[in-house]
Amino acid sequence: MSDPMRIRAQLKDGGITEVRVLMAHVMETGQRKDSAGATVPAHHIQSISATHNGKAVLSAQFGPAVSQNPVMNFSFKGGAKGDKVTVSWTDNKGGKRTDEATIS
Amino acid sequence: MFSLRNCFSVFIAALTTCAAVVNATPSSLGRPATPAEIKAWDIDVRPDFKGLPAGSGSVKLGQEVWEAKCESCHGVFGESNEVFTPIAGGTTKADMTSGRVSGMVLGAKNAAAQRTTLMKLSELSTLWDYINRAMPWNNPKTLTTEEVYAVTAYVLHLGDIVPADFVLSDKNIREVQKTLPNRNGKTRQHGLWNVGDKPDVQGDKCVANCVKATTIGSSLPDYARNAHGNLADQHRLIGAVRGLNTAGAVASNVTANTPKSTSSTPDPLKLAQQHACTACHGVANKLLGPSLTEIHKKYAGTVDVVSVLAAKIKAGGSGVWGAIPMPAQAHVPDADIQAIAAWLAAGKF
Repeated sequence: MSDPMRIRAQLKDGGITEVRVLMAHVMETGQRKDSAGATVPAHHIQSISATHNGKAVLSAQFGPAVSQNPVMNFSFKGGAKGDKVTVSWTDNKGGKRTDEATIS
Repeated sequence: MFSLRNCFSVFIAALTTCAAVVNATPSSLGRPATPAEIKAWDIDVRPDFKGLPAGSGSVKLGQEVWEAKCESCHGVFGESNEVFTPIAGGTTKADMTSGRVSGMVLGAKNAAAQRTTLMKLSELSTLWDYINRAMPWNNPKTLTTEEVYAVTAYVLHLGDIVPADFVLSDKNIREVQKTLPNRNGKTRQHGLWNVGDKPDVQGDKCVANCVKATTIGSSLPDYARNAHGNLADQHRLIGAVRGLNTAGAVASNVTANTPKSTSSTPDPLKLAQQHACTACHGVANKLLGPSLTEIHKKYAGTVDVVSVLAAKIKAGGSGVWGAIPMPAQAHVPDADIQAIAAWLAAGKF
């Protein structure tokens, strides 16, 4: 079980909703070695999806090149104040996390 | 703080000596600082929270202030590593219980690659005092007491130290101090270069026969006052400038100088201040980024210079002026970016 994501969704001028997400994840590349010389197994987010009122507004595939605790910004049209934005990720070890935020 | 007050009076006296009469005795110089002057200067908050003004501020208000004034450098979650090192991150619930951030312990398995502010913070008064004294960087000491409490609370919330509906006040700040992740992280008994060594200085010897009062034995002669150029022009344009104007006559320089207005068109400058451009770019002097005058000179001959500058402001970048990157300014409205770019291109600062 990982830490919750931090999600900030704001309605901006022109009806565009800007969403900023901070995901807490180690994002191990699988190429690092620990102090004993053993390879640290890869552990990173593979896919991300975001939905607004149940409708997909973003889907992305992440790989080992993305940094630890990644921050992602995106925006979409059609959001209204009080709507829910849901973001979820899945990592290569089958770990999942889904969090929700209200547009303000 | 009493000894600091004495120092302050001496400091005023010393300043006046340099500026005014050369051969006068120190006792005839200056005046004691007024209670109001001392109150304005005496803003420090000590670890026992002495000096902390009464008040409170919520995480919610803190978020509003953060997004208006802090986010452009520190990132929306205090995570940004672009301009300064990150503020939040690297602390766990277990650290809050133990009072020592495990990622900072020497040889720890989970040793952190980078230390954040909240990992290092051992006294909450330091965070409050620093925000109050030095933030926002382009306009320090402009936050109200409530806003300082609120921003402190928001920073603590970013580190999951307080909940989202928390209201920090002078009443409960001691309780929060007891939950800081690194509150037991301070050590005194360690070497200067090698942490495992014994301390270089024991600090156990009392010095006797200290000088009780300072006597000013010399001062700068008139002909040497301007030897290094006008000191007033060499001070940073941030805050109240007390640099001596050494260019003019002696008698007229007793009072503090204020920086001369550098703006003939106030509107774009105000925009630049509002969007915190001036935090990193001085008008004529280099701060973190190049000065506005330098930028104007570099791009003076460029074709379509306004849109080139506008694109650069919006996208940010690095490498043109050195290694320190400028973050993207996509949150600034396009009209404002255009106005600032046109102002930069015109060069009439």
